[in-house]
Amino acid sequence: MQLNVQKLSVSLDKKEIVKDVSLLVENKQFVGIIGANGCGKSTLLKSIYKSLKPKAGSVFLDDLDLLNTSPKKVAQKMSVVGQFNELNFDLTVFQMVMLGRTPHKKLLDSDTKEDMDIVYRALNQTNLIEYTDRSYLTLSGGEKQRVILARAIAQQPAFLVLDEPTNHLDIRYQLEVLSCVKKLNIGILAALHDLQMAAEYCDYIYAMKKGEIIAHGKPKDLFTEELVTTLYDVNCRIFENPISNNLSFLYQI
Amino acid sequence: MLAAIIFSLCFSASVGQADVPLKQTYNILVSKISGGTLGSLEDIPKSFVNIIWQVRVPRVLFAVFIGMALAISGAVMQALVQNPLADPYILGISSGSSFGATFAILIGFGGGSLFSQFGLATSAFLGAVIASLSVLMLSSIGGRMTSMKLVLSGSVISALFSSFSSIIVYFANNSEGIKSVTFWAMGSLASSSWSKVPILAVVVSVITVFFLFQHRILNTMLLGDEAATTLGIPLSKYRRYYMLLTSLITGVVVAYSGMIGFIGLIIPHIVRGIVGSDHKRMMPMTALIGALFLIWADVISRVIIKNVELPIGIITSIIGAPLFIYIIVKKGYKFGG
Repeated sequence: MQLNVQKLSVSLDKKEIVKDVSLLVENKQFVGIIGANGCGKSTLLKSIYKSLKPKAGSVFLDDLDLLNTSPKKVAQKMSVVGQFNELNFDLTVFQMVMLGRTPHKKLLDSDTKEDMDIVYRALNQTNLIEYTDRSYLTLSGGEKQRVILARAIAQQPAFLVLDEPTNHLDIRYQLEVLSCVKKLNIGILAALHDLQMAAEYCDYIYAMKKGEIIAHGKPKDLFTEELVTTLYDVNCRIFENPISNNLSFLYQI
Repeated sequence: MLAAIIFSLCFSASVGQADVPLKQTYNILVSKISGGTLGSLEDIPKSFVNIIWQVRVPRVLFAVFIGMALAISGAVMQALVQNPLADPYILGISSGSSFGATFAILIGFGGGSLFSQFGLATSAFLGAVIASLSVLMLSSIGGRMTSMKLVLSGSVISALFSSFSSIIVYFANNSEGIKSVTFWAMGSLASSSWSKVPILAVVVSVITVFFLFQHRILNTMLLGDEAATTLGIPLSKYRRYYMLLTSLITGVVVAYSGMIGFIGLIIPHIVRGIVGSDHKRMMPMTALIGALFLIWADVISRVIIKNVELPIGIITSIIGAPLFIYIIVKKGYKFGG
């Protein structure tokens, strides 16, 4: 599955938040979007997953025109881990993950053995199996995030959109979530705020500032000290970490 | 649960200002329902048969359908606006129908007493529909209908219609009429009769069955607009349908029984405390417990003070409140959240 975004523009209250953005996620690639708070990452993702209506542009998942397809059809192909996952009513973790099967169900279908298996597999993949009957509202922020990821996995998507999936997570869970996602072996588009993680996990990265893509490339080609300074307004030293051979970042004001 | 309802049906039919022994009640019911082929009515006084069949049975059926309707629409409303405080009246239906009723009672459409009875129900229903349509329109202004906009428009329309009613009451020179407005607002099943049962039964059953099958969508509603969209359910569209249906069902109920408070708010919470928030299990339970609760509230309203029939709205609150407190204390229930 390949996600192809062409010349997407999004306005909120007449202010243009995303300007003429094009990006491409090739088959089974893990693609990251980086940029400071308020640069339009989330807005861009929201219009890709149909929560916002873009002003112009197109979004295609292979030859499926996402902007002009019903949410249900889109949800069968693509799942989303968003930023805000609060509830006013309580559900158990199992029920929450089972909701991931919704797009594959007709109105009168009941939950089959197969659905159960899918849900348990998703719980296993996210190390949540002991939480199966826990109430969602008693979980910590990080645990909730993993439940939402399990729900997204239970949707059995061909493509996954993540909006800052490692927010609120402890270091261990950050690593767990990202490697779990990577192992799914499907196309992924993720907004990330941790540059070191982005450099480690992404195959390709787009850098956004004020609603525009200002640079893109493979992590090792893309990251320069000047780019980080332009994006986040901090001084930065980038060096190769002798242990992992990956990029490491040192920030200074 | 069904057995409990059937027993409650019989019991409720047998008590009241004239007590009919339970066994005779049972015989009357069996004989009437089977069209006279089972059991016989020969050794039962004719007046008992009439009381049971003409007065009490329609009344109990009213309690069943109205209890069911209020509980179900309460549960749907709470999911619809993602707010555990919601009840069937939250979208201005109560004040709309009160306005309709006040108008009918104090200003009236003229005509004889039979017509004015009919006029009361119709105009309460119209009031409910007008109020909820205004809420629907108001909350659709400026694009997408969100739960926040719904609740706010509900409050605004409520305030508007109650002030209309107050104007009428203020200028009315009719203390008898004002008393019946007040009485109407407390709710009662006294207007029940066989002629009204069919409409109520059809509307309530059809809409209840419809909502029982909507459990998937109701569940995703709990997640909010964005998450629901990513699960393939565009909420704003369903909100509109659901709201129309709950308004319809509540409008019919209010037209027949006045304002019976509290059921729509607490029954869904009580049921969530027992079976959890998954609508698949919760909705059928809500319908049954709503029906059961109103049957017993009606029994109590008839027997608690001899020869006086209290408005049922008073009873639902008096039993409902302590029951609710018990659930909170005992189960550590956190109001759905």
